[in-house]
Amino acid sequence: MNTPTPKSLQALKPADVEVFAEAISHYFQQITGESARVRTAYLQETDSPPIVDDFNGQIQVHGEYQGSVCFAAPKTLLSHILLRLGQHEFSDADHLDVVGEIANTLAGRARRVFGEGLEITPPLTFTRAGHPAPTAVRNRPYVIPFDWQGYEAVLVVHLDAL
Amino acid sequence: MSYRLLIVDDSSVIRNRIARLCQDMRLPTLDIVGLAGNGLQALALAEQFRPELVTMDLTMPQMDGDACISRLAESLPDARILVVSALSDKYTALKAIKKGAHGFLRKPFTDDQLVEAFLEILH
Repeated sequence: MNTPTPKSLQALKPADVEVFAEAISHYFQQITGESARVRTAYLQETDSPPIVDDFNGQIQVHGEYQGSVCFAAPKTLLSHILLRLGQHEFSDADHLDVVGEIANTLAGRARRVFGEGLEITPPLTFTRAGHPAPTAVRNRPYVIPFDWQGYEAVLVVHLDAL
Repeated sequence: MSYRLLIVDDSSVIRNRIARLCQDMRLPTLDIVGLAGNGLQALALAEQFRPELVTMDLTMPQMDGDACISRLAESLPDARILVVSALSDKYTALKAIKKGAHGFLRKPFTDDQLVEAFLEILH
């Protein structure tokens, strides 16, 4: 049986999720000069497993918003980003580093709209094999899928507003 | 004129990118004296090398950029501090400037934007 959501916690509205979609577009345009194709966001099913990919960067959110923002991407996409950032040799540690940095950048850009009440922590990064237990779900997270240069990745926005 | 530069960011990819751009671009001579992954490392390197220019991330473990800027403003009042952060709201920028930063560059940044920010903060 699901625990009812307290009245003080509100799910994000679809319009709020647009902020994160715009952040994805901006990131890829700025770093690579080529836009990512952001597809339609959807609500993850309650009973579906957490979405993870080869490398994952998770930002915990506190303040007037509670939850997390997680960027999950395949190794090949991250290798291309590292190349675009001028890094020509890289290890798994570099892939973890850059996936965390992207998650941090996408969450940080959302503060332009959500303001200082969206407090973010340094990224927690993990591989597909080492993903942590999912954070407690109050409302279903939004999944924002996108592709860039034929590689697919997602941003999972799991936030409630107080 | 050359400047001693300290680069502070918890991402090694970003630290290396800034270092590489400083070496590749036609900037006033920047002598990179240290790379720090958090505020505590930055303070230790700052005490040792007395940088004249610091790039500073804000969201970092152990000691964040805000706290580090306050400490550097006291210990190295002449150092120019350029915040390079993903936190892109006006309040964050104003708070950093109030604590002692001299400029603010939003992530993600292009090569040209970094060069421009350096030139602006040094002149």
